[in-house]
Amino acid sequence: MLHRKKTGNGETEVMKKKKYGRGIVKENLQVYALMLPTLLLIFTFCYLPMYGVIIAFQDYVPGAAFLGSDVKWVGLKWFKQFIGGHYFQRLLKNTVTLSILELIFGFTAPILFALLLDQIRHLRFKKFVQTASYMPYFISTVVVAGMVISFTDVNGLITNMLTALGFPRQNWRVNSAAFPWIYTFTNVWKSFGFGSILYCSVISSIDPGLYEAAKLDGANRWQQAWHITLPGIKAVIAIKLITTVGSILSVNSNFILLYYLPATYDVADVIGTYTYRLGILEGQYSYTTAAGVFTSVIAFALTYLANKVSNKLADVGLW
Amino acid sequence: MKKKNKVREGNPAITVLLYIAAGAMAFITLYPMYYVLILSLSEPQFAATMKVYTWPKGFNLGAYEILVKDAKMWRAYANTFLYVVCNTVLVVTTCTLVAYGLSYKNLIGRKFLTMFLLVPMYFSGGMIPHFLLIMKLGLYDSPLSQIIPAAFSIWDIILIRSFFRTIPDSLVDAAKIDGAGVLQVLTNVFLPLGKPIFAVIAVYTIVSTWNSWFNAMIYLPHTTWQPLQLHLRRVLVSSSQTLSQVMDQAAAREAAAKELSNAQLQYAMIIFTSLPVLAAYPFFQRYFVKGMVLGSLKE
Repeated sequence: MLHRKKTGNGETEVMKKKKYGRGIVKENLQVYALMLPTLLLIFTFCYLPMYGVIIAFQDYVPGAAFLGSDVKWVGLKWFKQFIGGHYFQRLLKNTVTLSILELIFGFTAPILFALLLDQIRHLRFKKFVQTASYMPYFISTVVVAGMVISFTDVNGLITNMLTALGFPRQNWRVNSAAFPWIYTFTNVWKSFGFGSILYCSVISSIDPGLYEAAKLDGANRWQQAWHITLPGIKAVIAIKLITTVGSILSVNSNFILLYYLPATYDVADVIGTYTYRLGILEGQYSYTTAAGVFTSVIAFALTYLANKVSNKLADVGLW
Repeated sequence: MKKKNKVREGNPAITVLLYIAAGAMAFITLYPMYYVLILSLSEPQFAATMKVYTWPKGFNLGAYEILVKDAKMWRAYANTFLYVVCNTVLVVTTCTLVAYGLSYKNLIGRKFLTMFLLVPMYFSGGMIPHFLLIMKLGLYDSPLSQIIPAAFSIWDIILIRSFFRTIPDSLVDAAKIDGAGVLQVLTNVFLPLGKPIFAVIAVYTIVSTWNSWFNAMIYLPHTTWQPLQLHLRRVLVSSSQTLSQVMDQAAAREAAAKELSNAQLQYAMIIFTSLPVLAAYPFFQRYFVKGMVLGSLKE
């Protein structure tokens, strides 16, 4: 089949004669023609919105052009309004609180779980636990939020459990003090199993000889985990930590949007949900774009810093 | 395996504790779904008390009988199905083409292209500029708003690219000597050999499309083209609406006649809409694991 193509295809003849030159250019044109639709999509949906960010510096009127004579440039007005605004402190406090809880529990849970699984020698049992732990990842956020709403309602499953533990019976969804914990527990529940995949696969690639040597030296279970397994996954932990620190200001607002109520805004409202309400629902485009820019600048700075620190301390980094 | 057993034995009491801990983790992940299942299958009078913990009390498929008559749900199901099929085909195609381009040895402007792909992974315009773009393109309130912006993924390009790296150059050279052009190398070498990675990407895309709801909520104000997850959101989350407003009239009347509680209907809905993914994921998981490992190789 290839041979038939050869006779009917003049371009390849050219390519074979000259190693560089017209043949290469022609092939490049063909390659770029194949890539063009995707590159256009990327340009449109990734780069055009970056350009759209300039409305954070103007009084944007919906439907107007981003550039032109009638654009009213306002400098940093929206940024000042956001940072000096009534809700800024609350948003920042909530966002950082939830992120730190996520860092403490959400980040460590997959590591601990992977270390735990490593101790399970019965292969079928291990496989079962592992498969079970992935399940929540495949359930949609909407379903998870729906389940949590129902479980924390007055006669819900979680409420019943908490009542048995001595807490007063109530609708926990409207309880501000409980919200950060419900949020954290749900997040950990949804992602610890899936998050452990990477750690498990790295652990399984550690040289078994190391463990045997340690065993001969009289190292017990904990010493082996501490001196062999943990150093073995150090690099992956560092990379994960950098990205987690970088996303401190961008907590996953998807679950919050579904679960929170005006009664819990004082602890549950984060930059993402605030942007959604004021931007999409109320149409304050310039103001919320400024809030978004503020968040991504901080996020990038944090990623950059974390990467620097990690490069210094652990010799691992994204760049 | 037996050999390993010898190497790392410890205090048997602690071993037992560790097994119990692992079992407890499995229980915690599985039980909520199991609880939802048994409650949805119980007799309505028991389900209404919510106190069904171990096994369905009685057996009643009433909630499901009503669900399957809900035309609005089927419409939402069909919409999701459409988005899943389109997005999966599109993502695999568009990403493969770029990954193939990056694998082409004599590519001119490779540095520029790599930058072009990397920058959006660190910077994005954010929710609002994206929203305004969709409005300007006229995709707002159109099913295309769920397809076109989701028709590519830079992350997937990188995954496919790193898989293509494992294809030996000699195969490409051999094809070229046989006279294969750019297109023939793609169809005769890369496409057949890339099947495992295409499966990985397809599975990732199917699951994420099936579960996505946020963009639909922003871009699709009318129910006609809304996916299943938004229908679910109305049923499970919006406390302001009662189920009778969400479901179609006939189904709601029947639910009232059968004295089914809201919770039981909601739980039946959860099971019914999660079933395809839950049934498939044990088979999917090896693809996810593969994708994770491939993705990390790159770093």
